[in-house]
Amino acid sequence: MLTRTSRLVPGARRARHGEQHEGLHYNIPLQDMRTLFPHSLPPRFSMQVKTFSEACLMVRKPALELLHYLKNTNFAHPAVRYVLYGEKGTGKTLSLCHVIHFCAKQDWLILHVPDAHLWVKSCRGLLPSTYNKQRLDQPAEASIWLKNFKTTNERFLSQIKVQEKYVWNKRESTEKGSPLGEVVEQGITRVKNATDAVGVVLRELKGQSSLGGFRLLVAVDGVNALWGKTTLKREDKSLVAPEELALVHNLRKMVKNDWHGGTIVLTLSQTGSLFKPRKAYLPQELLGKEGFDALDPFIPILVSNYSPKEFESCIQYYLENSWLQHEKAHTEEGKKELLFLSNANPGQLERLCAHL
Amino acid sequence: TAGAPPPIPSPPGRTSRYERPLRRKALPPRTEKMTVDLDWPSVYPVAAPFKPSAVPLPVRMGYPVKRGVPMAKEGNLELLKIPNFLHLTPVAIKKHCEALKDFCTEWPAALDSDEKCEKHFPIEIDTADYVSAGPSIRNPKARVVTLRVKLSSLNLDDHAKKKLIKLVGERYCKTTDVLTIRTDRCPLKRQNYDYAIYLLTVLYHESWKTEEWEKEKTEADMEEYIWKNSPSEKNILETLLQIKAAEKDPEVNKEELLGTKEVEDYKKCVVSLKNEGDNEETLSHYKESVKKLLKLM
Repeated sequence: MLTRTSRLVPGARRARHGEQHEGLHYNIPLQDMRTLFPHSLPPRFSMQVKTFSEACLMVRKPALELLHYLKNTNFAHPAVRYVLYGEKGTGKTLSLCHVIHFCAKQDWLILHVPDAHLWVKSCRGLLPSTYNKQRLDQPAEASIWLKNFKTTNERFLSQIKVQEKYVWNKRESTEKGSPLGEVVEQGITRVKNATDAVGVVLRELKGQSSLGGFRLLVAVDGVNALWGKTTLKREDKSLVAPEELALVHNLRKMVKNDWHGGTIVLTLSQTGSLFKPRKAYLPQELLGKEGFDALDPFIPILVSNYSPKEFESCIQYYLENSWLQHEKAHTEEGKKELLFLSNANPGQLERLCAHL
Repeated sequence: TAGAPPPIPSPPGRTSRYERPLRRKALPPRTEKMTVDLDWPSVYPVAAPFKPSAVPLPVRMGYPVKRGVPMAKEGNLELLKIPNFLHLTPVAIKKHCEALKDFCTEWPAALDSDEKCEKHFPIEIDTADYVSAGPSIRNPKARVVTLRVKLSSLNLDDHAKKKLIKLVGERYCKTTDVLTIRTDRCPLKRQNYDYAIYLLTVLYHESWKTEEWEKEKTEADMEEYIWKNSPSEKNILETLLQIKAAEKDPEVNKEELLGTKEVEDYKKCVVSLKNEGDNEETLSHYKESVKKLLKLM
């Protein structure tokens, strides 16, 4: 019977995880949760965090593999792209969160887009872009993202200096050499320029990470949204293609591997994707031809259901937090039943246990 | 003995019982007189409806009522409705063949296997003739001609084959490599046959020609994924060039870069991924090849 303390990985603060820690949970302090993930956890997980009043992630093989690659990255080479794919509910988003936490502890700059699908559907207030007439702006989403970006990367905003002069309108402009924080502020206060501010931030970060001042992690969840279709319409009811959205255009430039000094970790997600069948989870199905060609070459990493050890560990975690109240839950039969019903799928297991 | 009824003068409009002609009693059915080795084709020499008294089989047909069995054959409308082939038993067919043998020629002795038949006679023509007893011997269905040929027996190069497949569209079956042309637009069978042969000739010659506008074939028209000049090749070249630049390696030669073993491996994996689709095997090969290429371990 694994007890709590031995399941918690020592050195969690320094986020050193190795293969012997597979299957064990580790704790993220709540303070970190608020800075790193102000917007971005899957809703069920954030409910769990609130209930247990602590955030525990399980250390699993895909995340360990990624961390191993990250530790051995050569920052002079162009950024390598890793794509996490897998069936629904297997833990891709949480693996991404694990990687983000690791990089944050190592003091990287985190560029996290929690769900790219949010940018291609149900947006109010599309405006024609001020920078480029053919593209469209999304002020609401851009300003939300800028606020979250500021929360996550406070300390970098004053260190990084912009390298060009940007003129916002007749009265306001940002001079060369001023800190990036000003651009972010500009975007947050003047919502009309928010999308352009995002574009500026992305361009600056890409250019400057090659110089080596900091390491950049680009983490996008649901990256297949960038190459699919949108459900947005212009005033004359014509459909908008993804490349006509300025946010999507800039993000596509970001995930191209023509810069160095960091890595790009991406997740594919069918939940929330538009016009894709429910069972689709393989890279080519979700990315389509365009997406695959744009991301090629990348390293695909499969995230699968729990192994028996991980399943045991998860059940133990729920039991110790007194989450499973059913009297048969801790018997062998009960566990076998849960295994059968959920097929070791983490999302499904979590939903089942919520009822018990 | 039932004789004629006595003649009784009766008033008009009144028929007495005896005047109505007596009905003959029903004879026993023919099946009772049938032996096991009788000559069946004489019972059913032509296509005839089902006669329960002439068929000695105890068949039942119909949906049974609750806790009952299907209806017996006597007076069974269902058995009358369906087509029956009682006139075409194997014995009857043998007799037909014997009668037709006088009009047939011998099968050539040299063509004793399928491969030889295909080699010498690659084109197969299917026609159907219809004979029926009726006022006219014409049947419009007899004009249909189907021509089948295997493309491997035609002399086509790569471009010609692709062009031919695009031209015929639905008529080509990829699994059996057979082109099927079915013509029925002319009123006579002979005309349809000539038309089918003409179509085959035209297709063959057209597919060998290359038109001016064929140069504009885009990637969307391609049947399979070709590595050369694909976005994948460009991406990998750029990546490798950047890696070399980062390592300050002055000797950069495009052909050399593309010719290394890792790139060959990668190329094979991408082609298989695109042509066969995603599955665990192709994806894991792809992963390994990318790792080797980018020197990640």
